Amino acid sequence: MNEPSEHDIHAYVDGRLEGERRAAVELYLARHPERAAQVQAWQHDAQQLRAALVGAQSLPPNPALDPSAIRMRRQRRRASRLAMAAALVLCVGLGGLGGWQMRGWQVARAMPPMGDALAAYRLLALDPGARPDLVPQHRGDLQAWLDHHFARGVPLPDLDAAGFRPVGGRLFATEQGTAAMVLYQDAAGHAISFYVRPPGPRRYLLPHGQRVDDGLLAQYGSGNGYNYAMVSRAAGSDAQVAARALQPLI
Amino acid sequence: MPDHPLDDALREWLPRLRRFALWLTRETSSADDLVQATLERALSRWSSRREDASLRSWLFAILYRQFLDGRRRAQRHAWLLGRLRAEEEPQAPSAEREAMAHSMLQAFGRLSAEQRSLLLWVTVEGLSYQEVAQILDVPIGTVMSRLSRARAALRRLGDGETTIVPLRVLK
Repeated sequence: MNEPSEHDIHAYVDGRLEGERRAAVELYLARHPERAAQVQAWQHDAQQLRAALVGAQSLPPNPALDPSAIRMRRQRRRASRLAMAAALVLCVGLGGLGGWQMRGWQVARAMPPMGDALAAYRLLALDPGARPDLVPQHRGDLQAWLDHHFARGVPLPDLDAAGFRPVGGRLFATEQGTAAMVLYQDAAGHAISFYVRPPGPRRYLLPHGQRVDDGLLAQYGSGNGYNYAMVSRAAGSDAQVAARALQPLI
Repeated sequence: MPDHPLDDALREWLPRLRRFALWLTRETSSADDLVQATLERALSRWSSRREDASLRSWLFAILYRQFLDGRRRAQRHAWLLGRLRAEEEPQAPSAEREAMAHSMLQAFGRLSAEQRSLLLWVTVEGLSYQEVAQILDVPIGTVMSRLSRARAALRRLGDGETTIVPLRVLK
């Protein structure tokens, strides 16, 4: 009779062979004791291996390996790359304006206050391809998201009265920790952003102030240990809406 | 943040991936590094996954390739340092060595990484031969001959340490 194929021998060892082909292997082995001994030894080894490995070690739980933890780390890395790219774009832009403000030794000092808030606004509000981390499904989603990332509590400004509704939130990485931006839009598609971050280097508490950069107005200040900025179009009434929203925070 | 549907499936496979990585690297911390790299890649490659591959063979394939890449990098590095040596299996920590007192595990630990993988996939994880062929990117016949060699090697290494009750096949 024909010798069974290598495939059928292994399938027999692994208990994956049924019917006629199984019977054929059994018949062959009955007539070839040396081959039967080998197959039996393989079966024995496989059983031993299963028993030994399954019982051998139970690894201690490692929370860092949870998929959600890994997802979050990826997101942070992406956010920090984006923030870095945005900061670079801003630096180049400022350099082009004649080295404005490049009087400090450190890049950090050369960056005007809340430059990252403006960069974040441009990234998310002006680029139609940019996607927020969180699109609120229910009232309270964004507040819960802020509470999760800012231990001291950051009240989400309510711009409903002016017709601006929150449409998305996005995290950014800064050297001092997580920063977040919530984007609001009104029916006309105008955007206002609320930006919160831990205090930056050398400007522990930001004095209340504002500045205009390329048609955008950033109004900023500090309160409760965080720096806040509202960014809006410099023209029109959006600036007053932003100013009113910032008032209770600083 | 909302939980991704993939996360539950990955969680389910996590213990098996960790066990597999442990038997590739033989060291708990590098095993978890390997699993972490695998999950990161799985999350970023999820959308470009081939539909015909099962989730488990896809995950094992990523892990195995990451392991091989890492080993190649380590070997290149060793070469650059002028310290090229034959690949050395790292010493198992003492607790593990205790567990490996079991002669079967000792023999298994002395197989090559590919042979360990093959036997884990087929006999412990129950992957089909087709899935293994996909992971290794070889024809199924090659899987069969490599499996024969792996089983023979395990037998040889375990010989004298594992005893078999001789049973006659009476059929």
